[in-house]
Amino acid sequence: MIIKLEDTLDQLYEIEGIEACILYRIDGVPIALRAPSYREDLLETMFWLEKHIRRVLGEMNREGLKETIFYFKNSRILIAPSSNSTVLVTIAKAEANQQLISLEALRAIRIVEACVA
Amino acid sequence: MKNGRILTGIYGLDDLMDGGFRKNTINSIYGGPGVGKTTFALQYSLFGLDRGEKVLYVSFEMSEQQIIRDCTDIGWGIIKDYIEEGDLKILHIFGEDLEFPSLDITEIIKKSISGNNPRIVIDPFTYPTFYSDKEKRKSISTIFQDLRTIGTTIVVLEELADNLTSTNFGGSGEIQSNKAISMPLYLSDTVLFLQNLGFGEMYDRTIRIMKHRGSIHGEGIYPYSIETGLGIVLRASKKQKDRVMPKAKFDERFVQAIEKTRSMGQQGEKLAARIEVLRKNWVHDDDPQQILEMVIKQEKKSK
Repeated sequence: MIIKLEDTLDQLYEIEGIEACILYRIDGVPIALRAPSYREDLLETMFWLEKHIRRVLGEMNREGLKETIFYFKNSRILIAPSSNSTVLVTIAKAEANQQLISLEALRAIRIVEACVA
Repeated sequence: MKNGRILTGIYGLDDLMDGGFRKNTINSIYGGPGVGKTTFALQYSLFGLDRGEKVLYVSFEMSEQQIIRDCTDIGWGIIKDYIEEGDLKILHIFGEDLEFPSLDITEIIKKSISGNNPRIVIDPFTYPTFYSDKEKRKSISTIFQDLRTIGTTIVVLEELADNLTSTNFGGSGEIQSNKAISMPLYLSDTVLFLQNLGFGEMYDRTIRIMKHRGSIHGEGIYPYSIETGLGIVLRASKKQKDRVMPKAKFDERFVQAIEKTRSMGQQGEKLAARIEVLRKNWVHDDDPQQILEMVIKQEKKSK
């Protein structure tokens, strides 16, 4: 199951325009990460995510949202719960093919759910 | 196995901890109720017993009968034989009965066990009832220092119930600021944090190696399950295991840096030795060039 989960993240990360994909636990602890070795702007985004993900998820739950998108500078951050205790975050360039990325993220979420739930 | 290491007996954990606990150290197992702290401690004990080691289990809660019953239920009924043979000694005492805990505990342990580097378990380390705030650090430090001279110890620490509310449930895996909890954690050589979110999913039960002095260790969170018959089984991925394996692919870079530093004279020789240690322990996939250049530049300045 872990191999399948890691492969799923690898495949998602390989899509053009995706800068990072991170699987978080709902308490903000990163479970698995695919990102370039060092990028200051990405690091800032990741710190923000770790700090705020629980609150964002709480709001999403309250509003009945299945996914939510934030724009940070030149990045588009897609946050979507992947199971009761995990959430998949996809960080993409703003000019990337967003429709493709949303579809692929959705596909990844289904696999992650099957793996962890 | 790396020299001076004591295997934990937890399936899948030693690979992430540079081969296990270091000999003659204090290793804290920290977590809330039901995460498997006692199972961890018993599994650590059983692993040693199976290999002819001596174990002392100091229990501040469960009696010998309760421990035997729990072990039998999980499929470790053999523990009864070890008690009869004298390899495992279980001491059931109450913290409140100890007049001078820092002296009493170590004296009791010294009198109860002999042999070379036995495995010792203290479950749980009921520090809040032992000491006043004023003497806490000194008392715990004294106990730990003495225990280090006797054997390799596991100390079970309970996460306070206040930390388990839905609003601060483990908070990003951080240990909540509480003096009673943090003191023994600071003084331990290794801290393992066990969590259970309670949704029954793969990443709900996780182990995090918060600290492991003098060792390379995994920095992720690792899912685990408690299996009847086996105990705690970690399920780290191959990638997670690879991240703690030293990489030889940048050896050339290190050799070049070592040659460069040697030309710096006596101080350079000392730095070369340190770079050699770094080479042997380089676990990253990234090129060390930038770091090496920066270090050499800095060392030249201080010369």
